[in-house]
Amino acid sequence: MRRAVIAGGWRTPFVKAGTDLATADVLDMATVATAETLARSETDPASVDEIIYGNVSRPVAYHNLAREIVLALDLPKGIYASSVGMACASACVAITDAADHITVGNADAVLAGGAESLSNVPITYTPNLARALVRASQAKTLPRRATSFAGIKLSDLAPVAPGIRETSTGLTMGESAERMAAINAIPREEQDRWALRSHQRAAAGWDDGRLKAEVVPVPRDGRLLREDTHIRRDSTLERLATLRPVFDRSHGTITAGNASPLTDGAATVLMLSEDRARSEGRRDLVAIRSYAYAAVDPADQLLIAPAYAIPIALKRAGLALTDVGLIEMHEAFAAQVLATFRVLQQNGVGEIDEDRVNVMGGSIALGHPFGATGARVVTTLANEMRRTGTQFGLASVCAAGGNGAAIVLELLN
Amino acid sequence: MLEAARIEAAGARFEPGSDGIARIVIDRPTDSVNAIDPPLLAALLRAVEDARAAGPRGLVFASAKPDQFVGGADLSLITTWPSASEISEACRVMHRLVSEIAALPFVTVAAINGTALGGGYELALACDWRIAGDAPSVRIGLPEITLGLIPAGGGTQRLPRLVGLPRALDLILNGRRLSARRALRAGLVDEVVHPAALERAARDRAAKGQKRGVSGGATPVERAATWLAPARAFAFSQARRRVAKETRGHYPAPEKAIQAMSIGLARGMNDGLEYEAQAFGELATSAVARNLIALFMLGLRQRRAAGHDLPTASAPVRIGVVGAGLMGSGIAQSAAVAGMSVRMRDVDDAAVARGLSAVRSLSEDAGRKGVFDRREAKRTIARVTGTSDWSGFARDELIVEAVFEEIATKRRVLKEIESVASPDAVIATNTSALPIADIAREAAHPERVVGMHFFSPVHRMQLVEVVRPAKASPEAVARAVAAGQALGKTVIVVRDGPGFYTTRVIGAMIGEATRMLDEGARIEDIDRAMTTFGWPVGPFTLMDEVGLAVASHAGETVATALGVASERNAVRVLADAGLQGKRSGAGFYLYGKKREPNARVYELLGITARRDVPQGPIGPAERLTSLFVNEAVRCLDDGVLRSPAEGDLGAVLGLGFPPFLGGPFRYADAQATALRDRLTALAERHGQRYTPATSIANGRRFFP
Repeated sequence: MRRAVIAGGWRTPFVKAGTDLATADVLDMATVATAETLARSETDPASVDEIIYGNVSRPVAYHNLAREIVLALDLPKGIYASSVGMACASACVAITDAADHITVGNADAVLAGGAESLSNVPITYTPNLARALVRASQAKTLPRRATSFAGIKLSDLAPVAPGIRETSTGLTMGESAERMAAINAIPREEQDRWALRSHQRAAAGWDDGRLKAEVVPVPRDGRLLREDTHIRRDSTLERLATLRPVFDRSHGTITAGNASPLTDGAATVLMLSEDRARSEGRRDLVAIRSYAYAAVDPADQLLIAPAYAIPIALKRAGLALTDVGLIEMHEAFAAQVLATFRVLQQNGVGEIDEDRVNVMGGSIALGHPFGATGARVVTTLANEMRRTGTQFGLASVCAAGGNGAAIVLELLN
Repeated sequence: MLEAARIEAAGARFEPGSDGIARIVIDRPTDSVNAIDPPLLAALLRAVEDARAAGPRGLVFASAKPDQFVGGADLSLITTWPSASEISEACRVMHRLVSEIAALPFVTVAAINGTALGGGYELALACDWRIAGDAPSVRIGLPEITLGLIPAGGGTQRLPRLVGLPRALDLILNGRRLSARRALRAGLVDEVVHPAALERAARDRAAKGQKRGVSGGATPVERAATWLAPARAFAFSQARRRVAKETRGHYPAPEKAIQAMSIGLARGMNDGLEYEAQAFGELATSAVARNLIALFMLGLRQRRAAGHDLPTASAPVRIGVVGAGLMGSGIAQSAAVAGMSVRMRDVDDAAVARGLSAVRSLSEDAGRKGVFDRREAKRTIARVTGTSDWSGFARDELIVEAVFEEIATKRRVLKEIESVASPDAVIATNTSALPIADIAREAAHPERVVGMHFFSPVHRMQLVEVVRPAKASPEAVARAVAAGQALGKTVIVVRDGPGFYTTRVIGAMIGEATRMLDEGARIEDIDRAMTTFGWPVGPFTLMDEVGLAVASHAGETVATALGVASERNAVRVLADAGLQGKRSGAGFYLYGKKREPNARVYELLGITARRDVPQGPIGPAERLTSLFVNEAVRCLDDGVLRSPAEGDLGAVLGLGFPPFLGGPFRYADAQATALRDRLTALAERHGQRYTPATSIANGRRFFP
């Protein structure tokens, strides 16, 4: 049977939104990650069939960001490209779609990934004003054009920024995470401990070069940006404890310190059919062994779906949780990670060995550009499996809307 | 003689059309180009006569050649016609044609589907309307000035009447060739449409358009400068002043073009046309135009000639550039403009970032100036990626090394490149003087190492000197040639050796210039003599521009190899004393508010005597130019050069040899025995470096 393998993956530095990459738009970052993935994997662009890319907060100009990457980099015009969306798990969808296209024989080489510029979210008009503008643009006479705006109130004139708020529940991400913390009884101290661990491990990952290996520089204003900017090397439990809860000021446990920050960045993975990879003499191949998606009621525990996707993916892989040597789990919130552990245990999937999880830190310390995170998680996991010779690895990402993704990787020899 | 009756008409036909819109189709038989020659003129005259007799509602001029409207006059014809009066007469036939087109009582439209230059555009100018297809092959303008000629099919008359005098002066005096979109902005065409819609758009315009009067510009200011005598006089005097400064009296054409416009606007089109015809005849038979045309033809032929004796090779799609400095980033940017995907490396992030910034600003500038559109500028920037490791080089077909000119560094970098390059990649080292065989001495595979000598600034300089070491495979040389040509450069191929061709001849000349300081000459006198002679800059200004350290290094390499090294290297002495050239503020000149000669130079060199005219009967410029030409001929005699054509192209495009002289070899032909005698006299006085080269001593003619 044909297998899809990961031949390599690289990402831009993950940078705090509104800072060093604020003037780069999402395409600028996606092109850097993709061009460098092609270069560093020594891949001839003419051998690529397809690009699949995730992006959540889509600029109006890029209806199909993936295709814009092909055109902006002047890659061979015959590389078809589609953009996919599953909120924070978008790049997971890109990767598993790519794997499917490869395994059924529709493609041999696919670039999959995602990008996000949370410095440049599309700001929109209120629905009233937007409809009036459309009416005016369709009006044939000047008076008719003027009367198009008749029903507009002062409050309609304020621009609307997209909130990270569930449409169906009206709750923000943070409020949903507060619910998860409460339902699973995750105390503030445990969350802060997890956040601190994320920063410490990320710092160690940079110090020993493991994270540097997955990051490519972005040229900006006459210099090269190389490093993730969120990691707090001076963080302590005491300092984390002083932060005030953001979403539920009176009873809450979630602070800016134990949640993932708004981030700019992009990540791309080169996926090949195993045959192509072997014929090109590529080594240390990591295959997609299985994957699964699951979804839950957003009004219940919004970000718990990975706890349900993981057992399905493991079952499809024919593995038990204990077979998995390394786990990369997206950290939207420390509370969400710990709640996932708890639910996995409650449901009899198994006890999580924390030492195997996020060994170079997670999204709390590294940052979380929505569209890119899935590709970052998979890249980090595959690199660490190669480095340590770990046979099986598990990646999981939770997403707005109650979706969750789990991907099982296997190191081939 | 050119009487239409006696010439067999060929190349144009009248098609009446069924819907009242007729066509004149231009399609020269048995030739891939629509060049204007007597048979085509005769055929067009007859077709216009047919059109007038048929009396359609409108008439479209169209070309049947793909990507080409009408290219202009047949240059080989112009240079072979012996007399000025005959050429003037041919112009008058062209004038009759365009006047008859302009006088047609129905609407006329030119459908420009490709090149419309010179006579081709003048034909279009005679029509009421001009519509161009939006294709990359479309180039529109009156570039005759660049060949030492003037527009002589009514261009000096009709262009100012169409777009106004200021713009016409700019277009004609600079010989601009515009893309369809820029031509639209400049008013040279009235509409730009997709090539597939060109014919329909032209027919629509012929059916619904009006006859057109004369406007003289789009804005009141332009119209005033065209029609009001005092404003016009001001525009002309400005133009004359600029032309005098730029041509230094060596190029008569611009002044004559101004005069033709001036007469036409003051005394009427007929007088203007007559002046055009007269002036064109004089210019076309002048040495200047013949030299410039010859150079132009050499450049065209060189595209094929560069591959002489080499296997066919395709241009690389992916190239690597090692070294992101001035040269490296320039090469990377030129390659990206040509559509190649480029991986650029330097040793650290700061250097990589500087190189990428340079690529960005060069491309953005080009976008702003309209060389290509801004979206293309963005794509150009995106085609170049930078790195401080060696990733991405294994897939490159050609890797250009452009690191510092120091042999040990170059050898080390070459070794590093060999360790990452794919087995069939070609490695080109960019050096101005170091012998390639020396650089590749320790190479594992010297058969794939060649030289590519780029000139600075890379995006503007038209020459690439491909250096062929003895061990290089013909395939490797061929790929370097193909790459240089894909970058839009004129490529010459020379044998390996110190300084190759270009650096060897310029080095010899610069060395001689510094010796003249010892003889008591003044820095500024030599430079001024050279610019007056027609060189773009004098040797000392040149050294200040490239930097004295670089200049002395190149000079030493060449001088040592040629056995003419003097006991002391004057330029090295100055460089060691901290005079680095323009960038450091002081070299042969001091660069303060105003540039002035640097007296410390004489002090450091221990020169006391300074005379006003120290050179004897032969002036400094003649002396240095003669030495330059002699060295060029030696390069041919030694087999460094393959042909006189490559020698002329290399000297003009790479070193600024005065173009109106056609190049050192054409100059030698023109001077004939005078050059030999001058060299002999100089050899007696200054030494055997002036001894005439074998070919000069033997009186060889380099061009037929």
